[in-house]
Amino acid sequence: MNLPNFPKPLARLVATLPSWPASRAFVAAGNLVAWPSLRELDWSHIAGRRFRVQVSDLGLNLYFSVHANGFRALRNGLADVTFTATAQDFARLALRLEDPDTLFFNRRLLIEGDTDLGLMVKNMLDAVELETAAAGMPVGMGRVVMKLRQLALH
Amino acid sequence: MPALLELICPAGSLPALKAAVDNGADGVYLGLKDNTNARNFSGLNFDAKSLAEGIRYAHGKKVKVLMALNTYPQPATLARWHQAVDTAATSGIDAIILADPGLMAYARKNHPNLRLHLSVQGSATSYEAVNFYRERFGIQRAVLPRVLSLPQVENVVKHTDVEIELFGFGGLCVMVEGRCLLSSYACGDSPNTFGACSPGHAVRWQQTPKGMETRLNGVLIDRYADNEKAGYPTLCKGRFDVQGETYYALEEPTSLNSMEMLPEMARLGIAAIKIEGRQRSPAYVAQVTQVWRAAIDAVKKDQAAFKPNPAWMAQLNKVSEGSMHTLGAYYRPWK
Amino acid sequence: MNAPSAPASQPANTEKSRLALKDTGPSGHKAGATRLSLGPLLYYWSREDTLAFYEAAATWPVDSIYLGETVCSRRRLLRLPDWLELAEKLTAAGKEVVLSTQTLIESESDLKALRKQVADGRFLVEANEWGAVRLLAEQGAPFVAGPTLNAYNPDTLALLGELGAKRWVPSVEMPREMLAAMAVPEGMETELFAYGRLPLAFSARCFTARHYNLQKDDCQFRCLDHPDGLTMRTRESEDFLTINGIQTQSAKVMSLAHRLDELRAAGVDILRLSPQSTRMGRVVEVFRALLNGDIAAAAAPEKLDKLMPGQPCDGYWLGEAGMAYRPT
Repeated sequence: MNLPNFPKPLARLVATLPSWPASRAFVAAGNLVAWPSLRELDWSHIAGRRFRVQVSDLGLNLYFSVHANGFRALRNGLADVTFTATAQDFARLALRLEDPDTLFFNRRLLIEGDTDLGLMVKNMLDAVELETAAAGMPVGMGRVVMKLRQLALH
Repeated sequence: MPALLELICPAGSLPALKAAVDNGADGVYLGLKDNTNARNFSGLNFDAKSLAEGIRYAHGKKVKVLMALNTYPQPATLARWHQAVDTAATSGIDAIILADPGLMAYARKNHPNLRLHLSVQGSATSYEAVNFYRERFGIQRAVLPRVLSLPQVENVVKHTDVEIELFGFGGLCVMVEGRCLLSSYACGDSPNTFGACSPGHAVRWQQTPKGMETRLNGVLIDRYADNEKAGYPTLCKGRFDVQGETYYALEEPTSLNSMEMLPEMARLGIAAIKIEGRQRSPAYVAQVTQVWRAAIDAVKKDQAAFKPNPAWMAQLNKVSEGSMHTLGAYYRPWK
Repeated sequence: MNAPSAPASQPANTEKSRLALKDTGPSGHKAGATRLSLGPLLYYWSREDTLAFYEAAATWPVDSIYLGETVCSRRRLLRLPDWLELAEKLTAAGKEVVLSTQTLIESESDLKALRKQVADGRFLVEANEWGAVRLLAEQGAPFVAGPTLNAYNPDTLALLGELGAKRWVPSVEMPREMLAAMAVPEGMETELFAYGRLPLAFSARCFTARHYNLQKDDCQFRCLDHPDGLTMRTRESEDFLTINGIQTQSAKVMSLAHRLDELRAAGVDILRLSPQSTRMGRVVEVFRALLNGDIAAAAAPEKLDKLMPGQPCDGYWLGEAGMAYRPT
């Protein structure tokens, strides 16, 4: 089974959002859901570097940086590295269902800007165990994530 | 009983190691977080903590752990390689994979019980070379460069008692490993000394009106139209102009897949099959390990009847560079 | 002046002289000669052209000449007896002759050829892979450790010395700082690739045959049509690499002539000049004039400019991208 595509009407709605509130919402969610399992990583080489996640099918741009205490939304549109993919592909990457290199070969993932920074983040995230990450999520969330992954695998 | 077609899988991280172990690898290979191994990419590889946990996990499931120390130590930082060998010896690593004779001498002298494998980066393509390392350092296994045809491999096997390991699947080096300086010519860093070809700091991808461009230290490796599959940013897989013709002058973006030759490899007594890809994600390792476990089990059960299952091949093509595969040099006309 | 001088007459290869690299000023030429060698011919030329080249080379002011096919076993216009005959002639002309072995050994017939080359015993042999080292060491013959043996550290170099290497050629990518830090065993000479298109990679695949849509086993010897290789340009029309059968070379020409003082300070005894199809004799003359102090190092690039088949580069020596060039 594949993950469902992002519903079209919702996509159109999202595309109208300015990036600052979207970045803020993304960062808030990220700090709540993902940060507990990421805080242990060594972010020292990355602190303050500016990331842009471009969700191509939604026309959505998220700008943020990472610091010792979590993600921080950024207001201006300059980024050191930009990741571009569809919402579904980002979701599949996050759930460990897809290999980033495979997406890259198929032109479904693009890393522009500081490649080394992009690879470092990719490899650091790969080194986080999904089970551990899920366990660190707010009540119920982790279970939903693992369930989604199981569904998509079979 | 001598080893036969052991499945040796890549691990660039702890989750990748667990994916290999859980999906049927007989051995995993890994490296430390520095230039002592040939997949020195930012954020990849193992530190003391993940190494200990990885060894514990793999050994708990009777899976071997091999450590690649397969770059060439340099005078200013020699101690780093020595230390890495010591770490391997004291942490319970089952074998270390080395390319440099000087480092082999060190390992032999200081840790005589540590099992040594000759890395593909050692560029040994003849039994004379393999036997040199055997006599001198007691290596027990050699990984052959991806440049020999199967009959040539057979000739090596016949003339040595060193176990032979071959690449089964993954990124394809077109050049003899350990003898390729294309990367350092363009950007200053080569696999031999830096531990990576086309390191991230020198690579730039950019979407332009003409297509997606891949550059290495400014040198245009290739430019892809929207519908074209891409390859790694390595010089050997780029498109160049030779006498007015622009084409993949060295090799297309493609991966090695030797699965259809498994029965022949079994007949030759190949000790192990290596899967390339420590730079890749746990998802890749899980998928590829699963497919190759099934294939090797099928060959061991019935060599004569073995045929690669089309579903396996499709699965492997999906994760291949450019979504294509080749038999490479194992099949002579490739040369 | 052209006769090979004994190693004993060289500046002492002491740690001290090597580490003095940074302190070396524009001191002009030093006592003790740095020598010149003509590296093995990396291309495939007709028999006549090859013989004519070496006939001329016999008169050039080089001290050593490396002979033999190092790239492709299918190149057989000259076979071992021809090379040996040439070796005798060049020896008679006062040159030290070294027989270079094939870099990529694939088949039993490659090994057979290698064994014959080693067994002859009349000439020094350059080992270009470890199988050749094994055979030479078994025979107890002194040898030259070629650039593809990948000696990147003192331990490996010491091992080569123990096995019988009397000279070594560092990997072409070795920077000056690394070379200066190599503790070269007593009595072992250092020869550095100092001029020519850089041999960068070896493959089982023949890229010249591929260019002509031919299989390697039926390559029709198209290398003969490209006496200095086939240039690979980027899609932005920059000359980048050179296809030479199974070998890939740089398109630029490594030239360290303007860095002679640094080479001497790093303990280089012999400068290797790699053959090109035209104007090679004049290249040798420029280097000889440089060693003799007849021209200044700073004047060398201009003299060599018109003689080179491509743009110059010296990046490897500086620890940068090999293709970089910094005229001092």
